[in-house]
Amino acid sequence: MKPLKILMVLFAFGLFFTGICQAHTPLFSCFDNGDGSITCEGGFSDGSSAAGVAVRVVDKDGKVLMKDKLDKFSEYTVKKPAQEFSVIFDAGEGHQIKVPGKEIF
Amino acid sequence: MGTDKIILALAGQPNCGKSTVFNALTGARQHVANYPGVTVEKMTGWYRYGDVRVTVVDLPGTYSLTSYSPEERVTRDFILHQAPSVVVNTMDASSLKRCLYFTFQLLEMEIPVILNLNMMDVAQNRGMTIDTEALSRGLGIPVVPTAITKGKGKTDLQAAILETAGQVLPSVPARVDYREMTSYISSLQERVTALSDLGDLYPLRWLAIKLMEGDEAVRDLVREKTKDYARLLAAVDQFRQQFRVAMDTAPDMHVANCRYQAAEGIARPCITRSKKTGKSLTDLIDTLVCHKIAGPVFMVGVLWSLYYLSIVQGYQITNYTWPLLAGFRNLVSDVLPIPGFIDVPLIRAFFLWLVDSVNALLNYIPIFFILFACIAFLEDSGYMPRMAFIMDRLFSRYGLHGQSTLPMVLGGIYVGGCAVPAVMSCKGIPDERSRLATILIIPMLNCLAKVPLYVLLINIYFAQHKGWAMFFISTISMLMVLPVSKLLTLTVLKDKEAAPFVMEMPPYHLPTVRGVLGCALERVWLFIRKITTIVVALAVVIFILLQFPGIGPERMDHYQARRDATVSSFYEEIAGTGYEADMADNSLMAMIRFWENYRNKKMRVKNPEAARAIDTEFEAANARFFSLVKPGRDRDAKQVNRALKTLIRERSQLLQEMRAERIDNSFLGYAGKALVPVSQWAGFNWRVNVALLGAFAAKESAVATLGALYEQGGANESLETRMARGEEGFTPLHALALMMFMALYPPCLATSIAVKLQSGSIKWMLFAMGYPMLLGLVVASLIFTGGSLLGLSGLQAMAAFYLLALGTTIAAGFITARQADTA
Repeated sequence: MKPLKILMVLFAFGLFFTGICQAHTPLFSCFDNGDGSITCEGGFSDGSSAAGVAVRVVDKDGKVLMKDKLDKFSEYTVKKPAQEFSVIFDAGEGHQIKVPGKEIF
Repeated sequence: MGTDKIILALAGQPNCGKSTVFNALTGARQHVANYPGVTVEKMTGWYRYGDVRVTVVDLPGTYSLTSYSPEERVTRDFILHQAPSVVVNTMDASSLKRCLYFTFQLLEMEIPVILNLNMMDVAQNRGMTIDTEALSRGLGIPVVPTAITKGKGKTDLQAAILETAGQVLPSVPARVDYREMTSYISSLQERVTALSDLGDLYPLRWLAIKLMEGDEAVRDLVREKTKDYARLLAAVDQFRQQFRVAMDTAPDMHVANCRYQAAEGIARPCITRSKKTGKSLTDLIDTLVCHKIAGPVFMVGVLWSLYYLSIVQGYQITNYTWPLLAGFRNLVSDVLPIPGFIDVPLIRAFFLWLVDSVNALLNYIPIFFILFACIAFLEDSGYMPRMAFIMDRLFSRYGLHGQSTLPMVLGGIYVGGCAVPAVMSCKGIPDERSRLATILIIPMLNCLAKVPLYVLLINIYFAQHKGWAMFFISTISMLMVLPVSKLLTLTVLKDKEAAPFVMEMPPYHLPTVRGVLGCALERVWLFIRKITTIVVALAVVIFILLQFPGIGPERMDHYQARRDATVSSFYEEIAGTGYEADMADNSLMAMIRFWENYRNKKMRVKNPEAARAIDTEFEAANARFFSLVKPGRDRDAKQVNRALKTLIRERSQLLQEMRAERIDNSFLGYAGKALVPVSQWAGFNWRVNVALLGAFAAKESAVATLGALYEQGGANESLETRMARGEEGFTPLHALALMMFMALYPPCLATSIAVKLQSGSIKWMLFAMGYPMLLGLVVASLIFTGGSLLGLSGLQAMAAFYLLALGTTIAAGFITARQADTA
């Protein structure tokens, strides 16, 4: 039946879209506490909480140094690594933000 | 001239560049409203030419002036009752002959008409030369050639408008020769004059022709305005019958034929075609684009690009535009009354809520800009009607229209669309019933904001079958949308206007940058102007629902006691550091604000120089405070710094608990509790109810709210573990019911506003908010209660429901397709 065929085509082309899962604009920024630790704060542009979103600290080759999730205040505090590093906020594909250590003040 | 005010109506067929002419004439001086009672947009604008102010009304694009569609009736009523000083009939010069059919109907209404031959450039490219002077002589009205997208002919048009408006015409316009019907028409004219005074109100000949055609709206007009209408209409029926018998053809067919022949007779001598042989470029493109197999493939490609550019890339751009909106929020926040340790002044809470609501919508602007530009490109290029043509065969079975394709792709036919731009793009659907049906079903598609909740629930309850669960939720929305659309079409929408699928396939042409960007800018600007008022009204209502009655005095005492304990333990911590005096009384809040401001600013900088500048600025503002924010090696300062951090964290904790409690004790919270007797069938307890009701403001917050509800455990636990443990009675069946409810959940605030804008009525907005709730509850109850009774597991229930939905969709497709259209 013709409509069925078209339905199948629609579904097939829908496959392109899987994996593109994102909410509103994600926000993530970090702050140097001045005591050897940094605090990062996540969120979404509509004001929703980012509690529970995965965060990772990686070195310059992408090796994971530390991983955790944002706490109930959408925050993450961690000891500043000695080597070059970046902090990654990972709220799903297309929704990742990477903050390089040298841009944290 | 005599007048210094002119009312000008723009009329013409769709896709003739009428909107471009309207925009070129009026620029940004535009106003949009709806014609009363229908979802047809009324665009008005104005411009000044010399000393004369010209008000321009852009009538909807129609092919004819009968009464089949609301567009046609709106156009006709405007010309009849508002008596514009002049009507500019804009047409696509390359389809002159077909467009003249419409012109003749305008001329019969005996109003001053200017023929605007637009898109002359396209006609020339197709090897056509049009003798405009001969055409003007033949028709007896002024003819102005333009190529508005190329910026040509605008002044000529304005000059002609000024000259023609309200003038007695120098020559008699051409008339259609109705041949054998002519005598019937004149007899009917005499009869009308004898039996009524309609002739004083309306053009007599036009009235007679329309009555011979059997136009229902004109018959209604006769009934309304004439006492002795029964006799008059009986005479009309008699004439029609006589004509039918004498000529062996339906009177309306005869009228149409005569008009076409008249159009042909006038157009033919005016057009010369250069000797270009072979297929035109348009025909060549069409062999590919309307091909049985290549056509749909090409369409998928176009739709995918559109989706990719506007939604995916649009979101990328919001990363750069969001800081501007955030900056605006900070500005507002600075002028509002400052918050106390735990008490936030109501006025502050209210205005920040308002700014957040407006910002949430303004954040879509980059997406809209790209989207509107893409749509303008597709419209101008001429591809849009072809796409609609390909999809109409499927969609018409479900009460939708070929042109519902674009809105549905944007809304998330699979996973990850956005209902706001989708609803906004329904504007182009020419048939009112399909348009409303599309607007009403779009919110059920999988918008991006629903995805986090799906992922959350699937990770907990369907972890073993993630792929299947994701496939289920991605495709089920399509299987819900089609039957629901059919259901709506057969019930609430059954009295709405349905138009036959008539779309002309205009020749392709390359859109200009100016035309596309101009159109996109204008639509974005209109969007901004429209949303601001509505969003404020809705935000106020929801604010009240969420804020009141609020936390009772007893609980407030409890929070105040906790505040006092927190603050006094802070003072104990810093005793003997030498900083006690700096933190006394009001200074403590000043310190906290100083800290927060410093942190916020530091988070935004990207290079060491800017960071140092901020340090200098804050040190200059308050050196004592600054030494606490950046304690360095000072032992005392470090001690205070630590105590401050604890204090700030505890304050956040208190504020968060109070926020949750305020929602529980709000009208919305009460509603959640009151709904338990109903929602229990779907497996929702009152906490889930409150979270779902709160999600109306924006669906993302459902994740946050559910997180807050189940957070009693340790702070380091993830939301998933908290949820799995916090609700011990929760099973995959509960989760499935919740997911399906979320899939059918009422549109978010932003979408509701878009629905109001596009449907033009609060009633439809409320309906769009109400019926999905009911449907969602029914479906969720079916899954939960039905599944429990049958003893199905979550996965089994999922499969059963999927088959049920698939069966319903296929069955619905076979119920009588689009009745009343064949008439």
